[in-house]
Amino acid sequence: MRKLSLAMTTAGLLFVVGCGSNSTNSSTGSGGTTTGSNTMAISVNGGPTANQMNGFIYENAAFASATICVPGSTSNCVTVDNLLVDTGSTGLRVLQSALTSLNLPTIDAANGSPAFDCVSFVDGSFLWGPVQQADVTLGGEVASSLPVHVISASNNVPSSCSNGSSLNENTQSSLGANGILGVGVEPTDCFYQGASVCDPGFGLSNPPAPAYYTCSGNPCIPAFITVAKQVANPVALFPVDNNGVIVELPAVSGSAATLSGSLVFGIGTQSNNRLPSSATIFQLTCDDFTTVFDNQTYGITNPATCVGPGSFIDSGSNGLFFPNATNIPACSSNTPAGDLSSFYCPSSTQSLSAKLEGAAGTSKSADFSVQNAETLFTSSGTESDAALSGLAGLNPSGVGFDWGLPFFYGINLYTSIDGQKTPSGAPASPWWAY
Amino acid sequence: MIKIRKNSLSAYANLRSIAIAGLILGMSLPAMASLGGNISSIDLDRTHMNASEEVTGAGLYSVHRLQVPGGTVVNEYASPGGTIFAVTWQGQFPPDMQQILGVYFQQYSVALAAQAKHYGHQPLNIQSSGLVVQTGGHMRAHWGRVYVQGLIPTRVSADLLQ
Repeated sequence: MRKLSLAMTTAGLLFVVGCGSNSTNSSTGSGGTTTGSNTMAISVNGGPTANQMNGFIYENAAFASATICVPGSTSNCVTVDNLLVDTGSTGLRVLQSALTSLNLPTIDAANGSPAFDCVSFVDGSFLWGPVQQADVTLGGEVASSLPVHVISASNNVPSSCSNGSSLNENTQSSLGANGILGVGVEPTDCFYQGASVCDPGFGLSNPPAPAYYTCSGNPCIPAFITVAKQVANPVALFPVDNNGVIVELPAVSGSAATLSGSLVFGIGTQSNNRLPSSATIFQLTCDDFTTVFDNQTYGITNPATCVGPGSFIDSGSNGLFFPNATNIPACSSNTPAGDLSSFYCPSSTQSLSAKLEGAAGTSKSADFSVQNAETLFTSSGTESDAALSGLAGLNPSGVGFDWGLPFFYGINLYTSIDGQKTPSGAPASPWWAY
Repeated sequence: MIKIRKNSLSAYANLRSIAIAGLILGMSLPAMASLGGNISSIDLDRTHMNASEEVTGAGLYSVHRLQVPGGTVVNEYASPGGTIFAVTWQGQFPPDMQQILGVYFQQYSVALAAQAKHYGHQPLNIQSSGLVVQTGGHMRAHWGRVYVQGLIPTRVSADLLQ
């Protein structure tokens, strides 16, 4: 506590709060660049492959850098750029190839063998590799002895991890990034609803899969691992400013070539991360909230089992994805930009509105637009733009609204971490606010 | 409407299970089957997933809800003729797709590999020769639905499969 007070005083004296510095002519508005030791620059710039020969642009993705060191060392380090800033997942995951020759110590699972982590994404792609320990610096903050997920360059992956998919995103060209900086609402990647089913203390008879593994035999088999050794949210391990993050990005009218913004650490811990009185706090149910759109309600219907079409805010989703209640036409599967059938292609820009609702009854309306994705990807005015505010696609009706990065343009989006202390007057975590 | 609840340790504790036991004795079962398989394969799935089961039945189809330890709920939809025509899930972890999809697993795997590549992790919407695979969600919140269009009983809408 004494340490925290000191840090707050220091920050108050030394750092100036800035706002609204935009990188492109077409971006305006309230989000922007905040300075201070608890901040770091983020950039929506198309990612590392955008400027490569035959490389693709990673649209609506914010990237940041991290310095990764052998624990206890300040010289045996590698700075890794182009990490995807993802408020929809938890944990730092870095391509083995981006760590070059850095030799990080391994972390053991509960059975005493080195642990491996598997993350499966909803599109069937996956990340696999060892859990290793590093001191990780983000901006001016350090997470010491952080368990990180090193994405293995090998394609030798247990079948329960790949789960029928060949989409192993273990290269820069397949991931579109050098790694993922997961700064979501949970303290570790196997923590949910206040408990970890991967921890041997939870009481499952068999370890869940796909999650953690050990590879003392062949094939690798699922394993338990204690919470303290699980791949963790780096922010939760900071000594201060550890209760959440703010993503600050400028507004975009239509599209923009690039955007510059900030990732601010801590909520209500410094003068530059206070929650404004105008912000609406959305408390979560099963890490989701509710969206009412076109007379349909998308939220968890059974909090005991976490069943129902939950809605969520996720900087790692690169568009707005929602069930097609209004019959917006989908794009063709055969376009000059490839199969776009999962995106919307209205003949003219659709201006829409939805109502966001938190678990405690707070609400706010959100306006958004849907543009023709094929036009965005292929017209000369927008094809090279990294920020496309009108990019949207179809979510199946069993899932609710996925408010991806376009939702963040022009606002400061607060994400609080489950189990961490919130500012006085604010409800218990986890929640989103803006 | 019937509603039966049982757990994985009391497999033969009710009439339905006794009927299934009879089926098992009378036929050879595939090593692993779900989508497109017979209702009796649900017991294999339940054992494989170490799950508890709840059955709700209506006229057009019955739903076999398997609660997997760790939180994932798997719903298997069976037609009056006993064919599993759809499987849905929601929970912290995706299910074992080979076990859920059975004979359709290879078709899924090929269609998945052929999906258009866009950066970003978007919801999945595979429509391949009658097989539909849809997923969405985020870390620790996976939702998915698989069904075979030709196996859905008449008068049942795919929207009902949640």
